Amino acid sequence: MNEASLLHNYLVVGSLLFGIGLIGFLVRRNMIVMFLCAEMMLQGISLSAIAFGRYHNDWGGQMLVIFIIAVAAAEAGIALALILMVFHKSGTLDMAFWQDLREGGHPAFIDHRVPEEQAEDRVWPTLTPAGIEPEVNEDEQLHRSKV
Amino acid sequence: MDSIDTLLVLIPGLPLAAAITVGLLGARVLKERSHYPVIIALFGSFICSLLLLGEVRKEGESVDDGFEHVVTLWNWADVSNAYELTDTAAADVGSHDFHIDVTLRADALTAIMLSMVTFISSLVAIFAAGYMHGDRGYWRFFAYIGLFVFSMTMLVSVSNFILLFVFWEAVGVCSYLLIGFWYEKPEAAAAGKKAFLVNRVGDFGFALALFLIWTNYGTLNFHDTLPNGSTDPNLIAQVAATPPSEEAAEHAKPAVIRGVLGRLRIATNDYKHGNIALAICLLLLLGACGKSAQFPLHVWLPDAMEGPTPVSALIHAATMVTAGVYMVTRCTPLFMASPEAQLTVACVGGFTALLAGLIALTQYDLKRVLAYSTVSQLGYMFLALGTGTVVGITAGMFHLFTHAFFKALLFLGAGSVMHAMGDVIDMRRFGGLRKLMPTTHATFMIGCLALAGFPLLSGFFSKDSIVAAVEERVHALEHEHERRAAHPVNGAVANDAQDRSAEVEHAGVFALWTPDQLDTFARVYKWLFYSAMFTALLTTFYTFRAFYLTFYGEEVIPHEAGHHAHESPRMMTVPLVVLAVCAAVVGGALDQTWIGPARTHQFGELLLQTPSLANGPAAAAHDAFKFHGKIAGISGAIALGAILLATYLYLGHRREIELIRSLMDFEGFSRWLDVDSVSRWQKARWIAAIHRGATAIGLGWLTALLGNIVLMIAIVLSTPFLLGHFVSPYKLSLRKFFIDELYNFVIVLPLRVFAATCYLVDRWIVDGLVNLLGKLPLLFGNLMRSLQMGLVQFYALAMVLGVVVLLVAKAVLAG
Repeated sequence: MNEASLLHNYLVVGSLLFGIGLIGFLVRRNMIVMFLCAEMMLQGISLSAIAFGRYHNDWGGQMLVIFIIAVAAAEAGIALALILMVFHKSGTLDMAFWQDLREGGHPAFIDHRVPEEQAEDRVWPTLTPAGIEPEVNEDEQLHRSKV
Repeated sequence: MDSIDTLLVLIPGLPLAAAITVGLLGARVLKERSHYPVIIALFGSFICSLLLLGEVRKEGESVDDGFEHVVTLWNWADVSNAYELTDTAAADVGSHDFHIDVTLRADALTAIMLSMVTFISSLVAIFAAGYMHGDRGYWRFFAYIGLFVFSMTMLVSVSNFILLFVFWEAVGVCSYLLIGFWYEKPEAAAAGKKAFLVNRVGDFGFALALFLIWTNYGTLNFHDTLPNGSTDPNLIAQVAATPPSEEAAEHAKPAVIRGVLGRLRIATNDYKHGNIALAICLLLLLGACGKSAQFPLHVWLPDAMEGPTPVSALIHAATMVTAGVYMVTRCTPLFMASPEAQLTVACVGGFTALLAGLIALTQYDLKRVLAYSTVSQLGYMFLALGTGTVVGITAGMFHLFTHAFFKALLFLGAGSVMHAMGDVIDMRRFGGLRKLMPTTHATFMIGCLALAGFPLLSGFFSKDSIVAAVEERVHALEHEHERRAAHPVNGAVANDAQDRSAEVEHAGVFALWTPDQLDTFARVYKWLFYSAMFTALLTTFYTFRAFYLTFYGEEVIPHEAGHHAHESPRMMTVPLVVLAVCAAVVGGALDQTWIGPARTHQFGELLLQTPSLANGPAAAAHDAFKFHGKIAGISGAIALGAILLATYLYLGHRREIELIRSLMDFEGFSRWLDVDSVSRWQKARWIAAIHRGATAIGLGWLTALLGNIVLMIAIVLSTPFLLGHFVSPYKLSLRKFFIDELYNFVIVLPLRVFAATCYLVDRWIVDGLVNLLGKLPLLFGNLMRSLQMGLVQFYALAMVLGVVVLLVAKAVLAG
């Protein structure tokens, strides 16, 4: 297999990754999924960069990818923290719920209302308790803003 | 000479120093003691003025052509080669540097004005210390007074037109501040504004006159100067005597800059004639009219009554309205060059005197009567100045001098009355005050007698000399006219030079006049003479009307007076007494021609030491001062008669005066033509009987028709009489001949409409354009606003689309 066809295959996979990520980012409303899609786009780009690097036989592509990985890690840290906070605030991961930064007087965009979640449907992660159980602060539980 | 320098600086310097002291320390330190520095300074100024007068008089007696001494303090501004004179008198040709030096002058006219101004104002200041006691702005008042007197003393002692203009304005500003002293009162604020604005009109004319003087004479100094600014008379005489050197001729710079009223120019009578002279003089006259409240700019003075009464006394007697008379007197040589201008001055004066006299007849505000009498007396002064003879000018200045005393006295007397009556000044609301305020009553009576021209009081002499001067002028003109008629060959048709010079020698001042001119002028002056006589009658009458209304009749005291209704404190009555003594004796003491032919007119002789009057065209037309027994007799009789008339009408029941008032108001006529009363006739028994009788024989329609015709006639006739009711002689006088309303309608209203239009244009068109420009970005921004919908997916899509567009563009452009 010659070098050019090898590059070609890599580029196809890379652009598939990017395309899937892009479409996913545009059509999904779940924040975590959108975040994953964004990561997928980055991976598509990274793959293409490495392929070009190898084709041209220089380290530039790989260097770029190392930067991308570093940036993506940082971004993941921030984004996941934000998403967590947002979820704490609103109890939903729907991106359409967060349209507050639109122009004043502009109606909110309603695409397809997500069916209201039933309280009993909520499933919270259950973990095996470890260590010493913290003292329950009743007051704090009462005044928890959401959830 | 050195003492003159010091005195000249001290006279305005002391009031200025006092004004600054009071202005800086008054609010915190001096407070109720603020009058001390001002009174001391004014009195010091007065002493200095007297010393100056003595010096000037002493120096003046030793020279023939008048004495003047000029002090240059410092150079204010300097423009080299400011202007080049070409088409003018030979001695002025050349390029001119424009020096403005701060120069003061001492001559007889200045010294007289200074003494008068400082004397009156120190008395007024003493009075004001009593009158203004307890006022919130006590220190402010005295600071203004100091500034006012400083401006006025500077105005009469500066020696060039620029500074004259500066202090002309300064006097205007001070009067504005003082008239509007009680600025919380809307009338006072409006009166101050009106005084200032009306004065601006006059000042505008004055400024134009200065421009004309500069372009025609190449200097604005009164006195002669050397190009280096020196004013030493010996040096100037020396330079003027030597012929111009080659170098000087080459640079076309005159060796001596001859002042507009300088000795060199007056001696050769080198003044512009014809239209330029007329224009200069008329514009100067406009300025003088503004400041001296002559028709048509007299409207501000009566309104100026809104200020504190001492201010009125100051304005009317000493520091403001005399400025115009002073200026015209100072510029006598300029006016001499234009007989038409002199006639205009006389006509303005005569007309104003008459108009103001008529208005003063019906006013009920005591101060307003006095204000109109000031306008009227100033008219007399202008009439005198307009005769253009030395006798006339002296008479004008003499009247100014005596008028200052008795008008200050009358105003302070009115102030004393106001003080006692709790600031009520309407004569209908008080009366019979003679027992209550004996000192005020006595001094006010002396002032009234002096103003009325009662024989042997000061007003008698000065007013007489004015009327006599006019009469003399008429006489001289008629005499010359008859002489021309008798020798027609020697008339103004003389063309060749020899005839002309012979004619000049023979005819004297009238050499350049045509017979027609002589005739017309003689007739106009004659009318002015009659009008002056009639005005004298009016003056006496309205003065005594005010006097009787205030001090005689039933004792009426308005409730505002409260516990104030008593004689004023000593601080206020002492100035009254001093002024009353002066008003009584100053005329007879200074004009001693009435005692006998051996005595001279002291005031006139002193005034004639002023260079511009002692020399040149004015002196050429000078007759000796005489006492005119005939005129004095006539005007004395007029004064006595009018006093008796006023006494008959106003002392007692005043029934006759009510009758005269209703007659003058057309009240009797309108009653007969009243439509209501005519229609009431048909109810009268005999008319009703006729109508019934006529109806019985079938002629009812005829009597009904007749009745309707009579009613129609009554309606038609009543219309003009109804109008006449609004413009009856009484209403005209009471409403001041509707001059204020006329100005309001013709000048103020259009200006207001114009201002409103400008405001609307500015508000909607100019501002609108600017606002529109400001709104454009907002409009474009609105278009983009809908894109900011807050949906993350949409933003991402927009990014993707953007990238796609970029890629497509790249592909297309590359392809």
